Amino acid sequence: MKPFLEALSEKVLLFDGGMGSMLIAAGLGEGEAPDAWNITRPEVLMNVHRAYLEAGADVIQTNTFGATPIKLAASSRGTAPDAAKVNEAGATLGRTAIREFGFTGRWLAGDIGPTGEFFPPMGLLTEERAMEAFRVQAEALENGGVDLFLIETMYDIREAVAAIRAVRGVSDKPIVCELTMELKKRGYFTIVGDSPARAVEALPAAGADVIGANCSIASGDMIELAVEMRKLTKKPLLFQPNAGRPEISSGTAVYRQTAEEFAADMIKMVEAGADAIGGCCGTTPEFIQALRAKLDAWR
Amino acid sequence: MKEHLEQCMQSIVDGDSQKAAELAKLSLDKGYPVLEVIENGFARGIREVGRLWEEGELFLPELVIGAEAMKKAMEVLQPALEAGQAAERLGRVVIGTIEGDIHDIGKTLVATMLSANGFEVNDLGADVPVKRFVDEAEKSGADWIAISALLTTTMPGQKRVIDELASRSLRGKIRVMVGGAPCSKEWAAEIGADGYAGDAVAAVALAKQKTG
Repeated sequence: MKPFLEALSEKVLLFDGGMGSMLIAAGLGEGEAPDAWNITRPEVLMNVHRAYLEAGADVIQTNTFGATPIKLAASSRGTAPDAAKVNEAGATLGRTAIREFGFTGRWLAGDIGPTGEFFPPMGLLTEERAMEAFRVQAEALENGGVDLFLIETMYDIREAVAAIRAVRGVSDKPIVCELTMELKKRGYFTIVGDSPARAVEALPAAGADVIGANCSIASGDMIELAVEMRKLTKKPLLFQPNAGRPEISSGTAVYRQTAEEFAADMIKMVEAGADAIGGCCGTTPEFIQALRAKLDAWR
Repeated sequence: MKEHLEQCMQSIVDGDSQKAAELAKLSLDKGYPVLEVIENGFARGIREVGRLWEEGELFLPELVIGAEAMKKAMEVLQPALEAGQAAERLGRVVIGTIEGDIHDIGKTLVATMLSANGFEVNDLGADVPVKRFVDEAEKSGADWIAISALLTTTMPGQKRVIDELASRSLRGKIRVMVGGAPCSKEWAAEIGADGYAGDAVAAVALAKQKTG
């Protein structure tokens, strides 16, 4: 298999889309950590991975967004499952799906999300505590056989840097790091005020090979961010926006944006210089499939 | 006096807890009317912080340290208030994130801003059962229950709180505000809530507007 970064330098790669809503659709209940399903409901994860692989994703992401020991403890009612086991199982499932369903050559990204705790002044998280949590997760993902690491939805560069450094401590594999930003009057910022300009400096300096943005905003609102980040850096860029904001219709959430509209926005990001694209909340295999078609036609 | 009030305000905008506490103490030493010091000094500062946050000029850290400075000033002024004039209690709010949902960043922010703006706030945390919202509100004689839900799957819990209030005949006494990313004005109307707040500043405005 071609190394991820080498492939990325040759063509635009397609990452997969949302995970949480698919697990909820499969019956994930209240007080249950989605990541725990890697152990208790592996067949569901195999189906999700398969759906994204069949949709044409070049890179699939493990179901380990909330699987640091810190976040697992917070999201589990009762005793939290063992973080190392959850992460290793998550990576093994992705590996198995790629092999068993005949998609050798696709890549598996070990997904890492925020701990959920805050650095001061908002909270009491320390660099040491964050790094230890990410180390446990990264080590297990590495053992499970991921091809790269995807640190995503980070709102504080301090935490993102802790995650990057923790991964670098246990693996030489490529590291992708996405912050999550909103569009304010003065431009794009994370909730703690980190800007794209700061991100393009700090994340590569810590060891990220690919940087980018995901979640918080819908595809239409992320196009300008892609333009802005491309101006700021030569590093490879990945963007994974949400499907349009959900609207409530008779008590249930409906995503008004269609897969076609989403895909059209994503192509604009490619034209702006994105090296990789994918989806976040609200996106499904249908979105990734539409994007695959548009991306292939665009080449 | 005017200059003093300006300084009080600025200490909150700067998030300077020490300065805020000193200025609060100075206000007492000089015998300035406490209510005016709060309303035209410190509280004006926290409103300014809220405005700058909404404008995207300030971010979460500044909002938090501004609210912290407000708290420090109030700790100094509160005893004087209780000894003298009746404190202007804007209302009591019971707040939490609904059961099944552990997102609490937005909720905590709303709690912080309500408290900094003069509301008495009982923050129940995240993953709060429907019954507990109502139990706590009933026990403390709350004016409001503020319910956060960040997931489309947990939003129906907001409606269950309203149903629970109705079943205990408390619907007329305790108001309900809802918030969280998937919520909207339409959702609030659909479930019969008294209001929707899209962010912490909007929550304060809503609570002020409809309390009393």
